[in-house]
Amino acid sequence: MSRISIFPWRRDKKATQPLTDDDLFDEEFQRKLDYLALVSRRVFAGRLRAERRTKKSGTGVEFADYREYQPGDDFRYLDWNVYQRFDRLLVRLFEEEEDLAIYLILDTSASMGFGEAKKFTYAKKVCAALAYVGLANLDRVSIVTTSDRVLDRMPETRSKARIFKVFRFLREAATNGRTDLEDAMKTFVAQHKRRGLAVLISDLYDPRGFEKGINVLRYNKFDPFVVHVVDPSDARPKLHGDLLVYDCETGDEREVTVTAKVLQRFAKVHGQYLAQIERYCATHQVPYIAASVDVAFDEMILRVFRRGGFLR
Amino acid sequence: MIFAGLPLAQLVAIFGAVGFGVLVLYILKLRRRVAAVPFSPLWERILRDKEATTLFSKLKRLASMLLQLALLALLVLALGDPRAAESLLAGRTVVVLIDASASMQATDVAPNRLAVAKEEVRKLARALGGADRMLVAQMDAMVTPLGPLSSDTSSLERQLEGIHATDTRADFARALRFATDVLRGYDRSEIVVVSDGALGEASDASGPVHLGHASLSYIKVGRDARNVGITQFSVRRYPLDKSRYEVMLELTNTGPDDEDVELQLLGDGALVDLTKLRLRPRERLPRFYPQLSGASRTLEAKLARVDGTHDALPADDRAYALLPERRRARVLVVTEGDTYLDAALLLDEYLDVTDVTPKGYSAAIGKGNWDAVIFDRVTPAEWPKTNALYLDPRGGGAPVRVEGELKQPSFDKIERKHPILRFLALDDVNVATGRRLVPESGDKVLGAADRGASPILVAGTRGGNKFVALGFDVRDSDLPLRVAWPLFILNCIDWFTNEDAQYLSSLRTGDIWRLPVEASVTQALVKRPDGVSQPVPVHEGRAVLVGEQSGFYELTAGDETTTFAANLLDASESAIEPKDQLMVGSTTAGAVAGFRPGVRREIWIYLLLVAALLSAIEWATYHRRVTV
Repeated sequence: MSRISIFPWRRDKKATQPLTDDDLFDEEFQRKLDYLALVSRRVFAGRLRAERRTKKSGTGVEFADYREYQPGDDFRYLDWNVYQRFDRLLVRLFEEEEDLAIYLILDTSASMGFGEAKKFTYAKKVCAALAYVGLANLDRVSIVTTSDRVLDRMPETRSKARIFKVFRFLREAATNGRTDLEDAMKTFVAQHKRRGLAVLISDLYDPRGFEKGINVLRYNKFDPFVVHVVDPSDARPKLHGDLLVYDCETGDEREVTVTAKVLQRFAKVHGQYLAQIERYCATHQVPYIAASVDVAFDEMILRVFRRGGFLR
Repeated sequence: MIFAGLPLAQLVAIFGAVGFGVLVLYILKLRRRVAAVPFSPLWERILRDKEATTLFSKLKRLASMLLQLALLALLVLALGDPRAAESLLAGRTVVVLIDASASMQATDVAPNRLAVAKEEVRKLARALGGADRMLVAQMDAMVTPLGPLSSDTSSLERQLEGIHATDTRADFARALRFATDVLRGYDRSEIVVVSDGALGEASDASGPVHLGHASLSYIKVGRDARNVGITQFSVRRYPLDKSRYEVMLELTNTGPDDEDVELQLLGDGALVDLTKLRLRPRERLPRFYPQLSGASRTLEAKLARVDGTHDALPADDRAYALLPERRRARVLVVTEGDTYLDAALLLDEYLDVTDVTPKGYSAAIGKGNWDAVIFDRVTPAEWPKTNALYLDPRGGGAPVRVEGELKQPSFDKIERKHPILRFLALDDVNVATGRRLVPESGDKVLGAADRGASPILVAGTRGGNKFVALGFDVRDSDLPLRVAWPLFILNCIDWFTNEDAQYLSSLRTGDIWRLPVEASVTQALVKRPDGVSQPVPVHEGRAVLVGEQSGFYELTAGDETTTFAANLLDASESAIEPKDQLMVGSTTAGAVAGFRPGVRREIWIYLLLVAALLSAIEWATYHRRVTV
């Protein structure tokens, strides 16, 4: 229920307060996660996530290639049969089998908690679901909350049993601050030397441009994946008349007279902004999922993410 | 420019105060509601175009403020009621005299002349200038202003609804004097007469009317001249045979053509006589109907064309008359015997005559309610408490003192106008001996001998009762041998009983009627021919009213109700030919000029209209977000 203010010109400070939702991970959500884990397992069967082949040759069991012997190579990997037949010293190379580093980067800027904080709640559920999938597949999962910097970090962890650590971390997360993906990603890159999958869960309301943060990930050899949390009500604000609108993150003010025509134009501009993001990701081959808060969460994970190629 | 409303100083003060308020409201920054948005750069994209037109926005805001100030200026100006200086100073004052006399009932123009006249005045009222003022007055026998001087068109039009035609002639002189009185002191004054021109000379007992500086205009109403009317109508009973009566009437053809008419005479509603007549152009035709009988109360003359149609003026096609009411008079004759007297009293069948000897007088006088007592050579000691005729009175009981004997007196002086002596020739009456009567103060000497020095016939009142005293014995004269004798006796009885042979059979409309009523009555009620009753004041024992309709009236005063008739009977009103020119003295009325229909000069109306238009524009532009 919306609150009626006696002094309408006063700013509603609570609009930007972080939401704390103890019911975020209720039983129903837990069951969905269990079900999701089963689906994920079936999808990832045969794809050894914790035993992923890498381009490095190493101590794995899968034969990869031969190469000339170099002094200092381990004699145990010489192929003596080849030496006997061709009188050449060739070293057998095996594929290295490693686990995958999955970084879930959760935008906790104030815009994520705007209004009824639907976007933030939805983002945390997505984050938890993806973490659950990663942990269940023996990948190293790390969660990072950011605004204009890295706010908090859940260290890399493995094993499905650690999912409750994920829950605790997400429960304590709150929205605050302004969005600056570039600075935040630079910090993130500097703190994480091991490259991996970087899933950016954000509304991408970055005044300096959403591209810069994604580019930082790309340029630093991370495999970025964008989950764009979209609240359709952002495109249809319930505003009318002569207003002083201010940005919930930056506090920038603008005088505007909102009419039906203006609202139409705003919806159009908002749509253009979403299209711009999608176009950028497609152009730069960055996997992109628009996660609308109006779409049921389980449908988002089971169908949209799979259709988007993120989960198989 | 002159401000007829608030003065300029007040207007400036109001504009300054309210205008300052408007300015303050515009200068003060509009406090807007505050609303948070998740991402303001999206709003900036929308506002980018608007930012490019900031200057234009400021201009729009300035235009909006100027619009408000213009609105305020228009409203303040309207409060001032601005008018062109010349129109205010040169505004006309117009008195319109609408002829509502009988001739205006003519139907030669549809529906009638008065309706056309009212329409003409309505046009004038609608064409009044902003500074013009008009007064409308109804002109008939009286002059009735219908309202004050006004420039309010709707008010003037409403006043016209109250005008109705009357069966009277127009008193043009009175109307002009009224108009000149109203217009006295005004620079541009004008009298507009709306009439058919049958108004007569503009002069009265005070002499001809002078219009002064007021100009005179004339609007002619009417077209035809054909009309035949009853211009005289009179009826009376015969003095010696009051069951019969005679009628005199006059018909007048005021038109230019021969007219064949049918004249009906109705007595008490029944046809008494029917005559077909032909009247030549402009002919006045008197008609005399003697020895008529068959009506006891009302007579009515009706005129119609032979072909069954009515002429243009029906108002003069009827005339009404009322016969004097007959009632039996109770007469006590105290005599030793007088054949001449008995013979005279036998002539009137409406007399109940009782003869008594002087000895039986005392008993008889107390028994009956006598209308008159005739003392023939007998004079009682006391006056009877009723009217009395004394023939040769003697002694102290006589109403007048009787002195000395006159030898062969003759009527050297006769009061011929007295009702008693009407139709009588007494100049050559021979009398052997008589006695001189000495009248008291208030008595009237009707006949006297010795060149007026010796009264022999005296009338007067004693104790509220009338008396007549004749100073000789009629048997000592040749009077009983003359026609004058019975007439004298009957005239005396008629005078005693208020039965007048010269009874006025009808009144004339347009006159001020003064009708006798009981002295104790202070207000009477008259029922008009149209059935409407109206109270009339009573002044000095007479009900006073102005008759406007012809027909029979009923006057109720106290317990007594009397009926009387009223007629137009005016040849000048029957002459309905409209006059092309109207003259007042040497002044000829001109045509009406200077009235332009549809032009209102009240500028404040237009100012309010413009203000309303601007307000509508402001409303539309605001709600379309053009001026915000």
